[in-house]
Amino acid sequence: MGIACVAFIGPQNNPMYLRSIDPASDDLYMKLHYVIHCSLDAVEEKVMLKRGPGDSQDAYLGLLYPTEDYKVYGYLTNTHIKIILLLDDEGPVKDEAVMRVFRRLHGLYVDTASNPFHKFGLPLSSPRFDGAVDGIVAIYRGAGASQGGFMT
Amino acid sequence: MAGLPPVPSPGVVGKKPARRCAEVCLELLCAESVRLFHDKQSGPAAAAALEAVGYRVGQQLAERYTRDKPRLGDTLEIIKFVCKDFWQALFKKQVDNLKTNHRGVYVLQDNGFRWLQRLSPPGPGADPGREEAARQLALSYLHLPAGIVRGALCHLGVTCTVEADPKQMPSCTFTIRIMA
Repeated sequence: MGIACVAFIGPQNNPMYLRSIDPASDDLYMKLHYVIHCSLDAVEEKVMLKRGPGDSQDAYLGLLYPTEDYKVYGYLTNTHIKIILLLDDEGPVKDEAVMRVFRRLHGLYVDTASNPFHKFGLPLSSPRFDGAVDGIVAIYRGAGASQGGFMT
Repeated sequence: MAGLPPVPSPGVVGKKPARRCAEVCLELLCAESVRLFHDKQSGPAAAAALEAVGYRVGQQLAERYTRDKPRLGDTLEIIKFVCKDFWQALFKKQVDNLKTNHRGVYVLQDNGFRWLQRLSPPGPGADPGREEAARQLALSYLHLPAGIVRGALCHLGVTCTVEADPKQMPSCTFTIRIMA
């Protein structure tokens, strides 16, 4: 229950970070890669749709599309970084809680990018980053989407 | 004064005041970086190196300053963001004048560019030689901010070149040319 997978995709649709929260086999990783890849089209569609006047030009894109096992949520930053979350919640999911997770992940990415040794475009591979992602995911699971109670 | 820590208000108990840094540190760092690069390398190479440093910083600042902003749509919105919020965060003021020829060239004019404030302009009636020397010196200080602007724009999706021109110190213009 909760977040199954976190992915960061760069501006050229290059995968920068893909992490399955539960330990995953190679097959499962292939499946996750595939789902995330398909979700990139959905991100572009949503952005096109939202171009209409009066639509909120927000970073949070909401539910992109449901697959049989997961619900795929998307977030697009101004610097064209896409953050994709795969949730395997069965019950109703509160948008608020997912939005908070995205904001925290975005903040984490901004802090990581501010590192002088960070190289843009290359995959993110740092144990500290992994640990921080774990922390954010744990809060989502702990607080519970139904309660939706933690500070951004 | 920018350097003194703010006194915590009596109602807030046990909360550490936010750490601040004196602005003169940034000015000294900029001046020293210009000197360092120009000592190690000759003119154009030093300029390119400073611009590259600025480019990287610009990318990182673009990530940080667009964090909670609504989505920026087309090129004009991105340029306006650079003129207002980005300039405000970086140089404590907004760009004074924005001109465009609607064909991919934008000219940003700042009438009191903060990073040139410490350079004394040549006095009125100075001979052209001195004016040219002063202009060249000011130009060497502008490679870094030009790089920052270019890095921010490219990271936001606008591929371009940025050229700085110190017209009347401390006022200067930045010309952005969008590459198709």
